[in-house]
Amino acid sequence: MRITRFLYKEWQKVKETWWVFDQEIRRIFRDPGVIVIFFVATIAYPILYNFIYWKDNIENVPVAVVDRSNSPESRSFLHRWNASPDITLTHYCTSMAEAERLLRDQKVHGIIYFPEDFAVHLNTGMQTAHISLYCDMSSFLYMKAIYLSCNKVMLEDMTNIQIDRYEAMGYDHQFAWQLVQAAPYTETALFCESGGYASFLIPAVLMLILHQTLFFGICMLGGTAREENKELFLLPGHRRGYSVIRITAGRSLAYFVIYMALGVFVLLAVPRMFGLPHIGNPIDIMKLLVPYLLATIFFSMSVSVFIRNRESGMVLLIATSLIFIFIAGVSWPQQMLPDEWRYLSYFFPYTWGVHGFIHINSMGATLAGTAKEYIALWILAGGYFITNCALLGISGYLHDHRKTSIA
Amino acid sequence: MFVRPLYIFASVGVMVLCTVFFLSILKRGAPERIPVAVVDHDQSSISRRLCHETNTTQSVQIVLITPDYAEARRAMQRGEVYGILDIPEGFYADLVSFKQPELHFYVNNAYTVGANTAYKQLLTMCNLTSGAFQREVLRKKGLPDYLIMERIQPVAISAHMIANPWSNYAIYLVSTILPGILSLVVLMLTIFAIGFELKMKTSHEWLDTAGGNYVVAMTGKLIPYTLLYIVLGVGCNVILFRFMHFPVLGSSWRLVGGTILLILAMESMAVTLIGLLPTLRDAISIGALYGMLGFSLSGFTYPVMNMLPVFQAWTWLIPLRHYYLIYVNEALMAGSIMNTFIPAACLMAFFPLALLVSPRLHNALIYQNYPLK
Repeated sequence: MRITRFLYKEWQKVKETWWVFDQEIRRIFRDPGVIVIFFVATIAYPILYNFIYWKDNIENVPVAVVDRSNSPESRSFLHRWNASPDITLTHYCTSMAEAERLLRDQKVHGIIYFPEDFAVHLNTGMQTAHISLYCDMSSFLYMKAIYLSCNKVMLEDMTNIQIDRYEAMGYDHQFAWQLVQAAPYTETALFCESGGYASFLIPAVLMLILHQTLFFGICMLGGTAREENKELFLLPGHRRGYSVIRITAGRSLAYFVIYMALGVFVLLAVPRMFGLPHIGNPIDIMKLLVPYLLATIFFSMSVSVFIRNRESGMVLLIATSLIFIFIAGVSWPQQMLPDEWRYLSYFFPYTWGVHGFIHINSMGATLAGTAKEYIALWILAGGYFITNCALLGISGYLHDHRKTSIA
Repeated sequence: MFVRPLYIFASVGVMVLCTVFFLSILKRGAPERIPVAVVDHDQSSISRRLCHETNTTQSVQIVLITPDYAEARRAMQRGEVYGILDIPEGFYADLVSFKQPELHFYVNNAYTVGANTAYKQLLTMCNLTSGAFQREVLRKKGLPDYLIMERIQPVAISAHMIANPWSNYAIYLVSTILPGILSLVVLMLTIFAIGFELKMKTSHEWLDTAGGNYVVAMTGKLIPYTLLYIVLGVGCNVILFRFMHFPVLGSSWRLVGGTILLILAMESMAVTLIGLLPTLRDAISIGALYGMLGFSLSGFTYPVMNMLPVFQAWTWLIPLRHYYLIYVNEALMAGSIMNTFIPAACLMAFFPLALLVSPRLHNALIYQNYPLK
């Protein structure tokens, strides 16, 4: 008898949660603004960003040449440099002034300068021959393309010159080679062989899109509920006396179900559609997505308690997208963040989610290999669940209190 | 404007927070002490010396020395190291017997900034290893040091990074991100300020205050906001270029002019959007979509010349793109004045857009005939 009563009570709780879930789903699909954020933005943004960064690496940066040495050595250097995909020698100038004007007018993004004595120094072997490189710093990608490709040609050149000099000293070729390449090296770029900008940035942007659309969508629903305030719709079941736990669970279940489906598209389909790195195990990614979505949902619901208007959340919090991506330590290395910001970043689900996703998706880690992020997300999910219940409880209490006092 | 705290929070609050945030987060400028791992199969005095010398450089630090490659790779997959230097077994013995032992290094390209820093340093260290070996051999053969240096490094590149010789990321990023955030604030708040009148059906009162004159009403409403934005924008410029000493090779007055034009262009864009979509929530959503794309399409990280043609065309519709061109010319390049005037003219071309939609917006204010929710 006692057991059946217990079971009946529990069944009632499940039904209540289901009712809240049902209400929330209806609210989402009845609201075109939320549909735009949840569905249109979440699907359109990943595709747009992939098209913006379509070429991944930057190629053929225009560079001006000032070859005062005008020697076979400098020409051979330029030939080989011009063959690299990163740059194109577009202007051959007779003076630095001419090249400088081109750079100032952004016709070229770099200048290479060979002084008159370049070949003399190389051939006499008494002094180091210098090449000067001037880089446009308006985008660091120009600098990277120009500097690294020039450096590679220089290193290759240097090996040949060194061997020539040792041979001139009377060493045989084999010995000269062993001396110059005493410890040869190979370099391997792991995880994104191209080292491209898109393959590094877009995985982080994908996680941000999931986070921000949920965040703004939930804030919008919260703000709308505040505005209508008919039945205190922030707490759909409040009138019926449902507990905040069941209300939170029911509402979050609605977002969770929708975003698990969207997550499959954004995190699994998009990297495959656009040739982004995707060496991770899809099942591990889905396992990571569960606590990430829960933490993000409860975090957004906690914030949305403070939003009064439908649109004000977006106006106030639009800049958070940039803050999240920087504080998470994706573009700027996490180890370089000042301590106080790094500790703050641990409270945001995005920080853990994005690193977890990059570790699994781009770097092929297993879920166990990124256990720290996975566990942190569960802790955040639990923490924000409690925070949200507490905030809803307080606001519901304040609401009732005010009502009775007015009445 | 001062009645609802939202306006002050969303403008002054956001800008102050973002200025403090971005300047403090990038205060170290260039990446330094980037963690790397060494897989030392050799465990000899030479391999230890290589570790020591790598560790004394400014840009990397060794946080893990292990004889097991798998351990180093796992550390990399956890994001703890950005590069791995692999020293083979028998490195010392092979080196001194001219057997050319091979070094390997790996960098984690999933995190670009860390990987680039580690790459540059590990590349240098590997080259220096051969160089150091040559120096020792040549010294034993009795060559004087000045001749040895010529043999080890016959060619050198001296790189000059114009206007930012420290390759300081703060100078590079913050000088465009902050105006970008300001332009986003201007866009969202202007849409909100006008749209809220429509939503609350107070547009009649607003028009009546202006004697029913649309132009007076609009100008009167926007003037206080514009002044606030200009104070914020110029304040940002003063902080960046005066207190933080970010380089300005050209004219700082023209840069300030560029900031003011950016604000006005963004306001016109906001009026245009709310005019085309006289429903607050639609205009806000579209504004947010359009505004966020501005950061990518301004081309300050990923150059516009590498985008697909359709996006290259799109960048003309982004005021931040034109501001960025003014900034590059005035702050970094000090080029011909035409390079400032052309983007400035492009920014001014946004002004008439607001006039084009004015009949539609005027009607919306009078009839309030658009859905409110």
